[in-house]
Amino acid sequence: MQAMQNFPPSDESMKSREPGDDDAGPTAGAEQSDLELVRRAQQNERGAFDLLVLKYQHKVIKLVARLLRDPTEAEDVAQEAFVKAYRALGSFRGDSAFYTWLYRIAVNTARNSIASRQRRPLDYEAELSESEQNNVAARLKHDDTPEATVLSEEIRQTVNSAIEQLPEDLRTAIVLREIEGLSYEEIAVAMDCPVGTVRSRIFRAREAIDRALKPLLE
Amino acid sequence: MKPSAENEMTDQIREQLSALLDGELPPDEMGLLMRRLDKDPGLRRTFGSYALIGETLRAPGGRIASPSFAACVSAALDEAPVLVEKASAARPGAMVQARQHVALWKRPMVRTALAASAAVSAVLLFRPDVTPVARLEVTPASSFAMSASPTPAQSQRLAGYMVAHSQFSTPMVRRNVLSSLLAADPGIARVSYEMGEAPWQ
Repeated sequence: MQAMQNFPPSDESMKSREPGDDDAGPTAGAEQSDLELVRRAQQNERGAFDLLVLKYQHKVIKLVARLLRDPTEAEDVAQEAFVKAYRALGSFRGDSAFYTWLYRIAVNTARNSIASRQRRPLDYEAELSESEQNNVAARLKHDDTPEATVLSEEIRQTVNSAIEQLPEDLRTAIVLREIEGLSYEEIAVAMDCPVGTVRSRIFRAREAIDRALKPLLE
Repeated sequence: MKPSAENEMTDQIREQLSALLDGELPPDEMGLLMRRLDKDPGLRRTFGSYALIGETLRAPGGRIASPSFAACVSAALDEAPVLVEKASAARPGAMVQARQHVALWKRPMVRTALAASAAVSAVLLFRPDVTPVARLEVTPASSFAMSASPTPAQSQRLAGYMVAHSQFSTPMVRRNVLSSLLAADPGIARVSYEMGEAPWQ
């Protein structure tokens, strides 16, 4: 299959950043941390891979949803991409950032999904069995785009509102880290304080935002 | 209110979690934190929430994962346990897994190949009308079938051999070898032709 020719992607082909991936990239420290998690997962430490899933799930789902044009399939395809990544983890040697490698796998998986959908003939007269109807209903309930959009918007508003209410030192620290992508050391220089203080401020900022988010996510 | 020792401990762990997300956790703190994460779903939830906060700040809007997504991926990996493939030499742990992976799928193939070659060798050895040199020649299947004519005793012995070795071969291999035997037996072939089952009729 055409789209699978690059799977798993070699590290060599992944050295440059992907076009369109214009988010503040991970710092060298974050990449190093990912590599450490990958190394542990390669030694059969499943918890380490679970953390990589938690870290990149939203990013991968956003990417896949943009490619698929059918957001109801995004979670299935993203899940498949993570499973493929886990299976191919042994071929990842750390020459590129983990997310860059994962990005390529997610793109290939989405392309395959689009290709298989195009091969599937549409039969509007085909009757769905009862279990299929239930399955579709469950998917619509779970992945319903308007609901997901509303939740996403609520989360955005809650995060912004929580950030506005933070004391200035916490707000500056979290913004420099999350939006500007600075390392703790760079933030320490910018804010003229020890690295340990930066670590504590960022943590306290996250805790405050997490408390505000909890009712939405439970 | 003065924070209790337990709360202080929890805060320390969560601060480590925050540093881990940023890649700023010292390596010597990682092992213990990973063990705590394995045991504490609450800590994993917190890690996911910290990641969501960052994602929302960097790229607001668009879809986000449902709260159960990571658990679903984990369950998918549990349901179909997969081994890490193509390990590099730099990671001895992964190499061991890769070797085990190959050994698992290779073992039945090797057994099948051995059983098949033993069966074919037996068929060739029981051809009394063929000289040892001729046995080494590659013969077309059709001429082989017509020239071989084992006695009933030999056929019985071969059938016994097949039964004795059937546990090491696949049904496909057994069927192929038995077909060769049947084709080589002119008595059986004659019965088939009389019934009008010859392929060219």
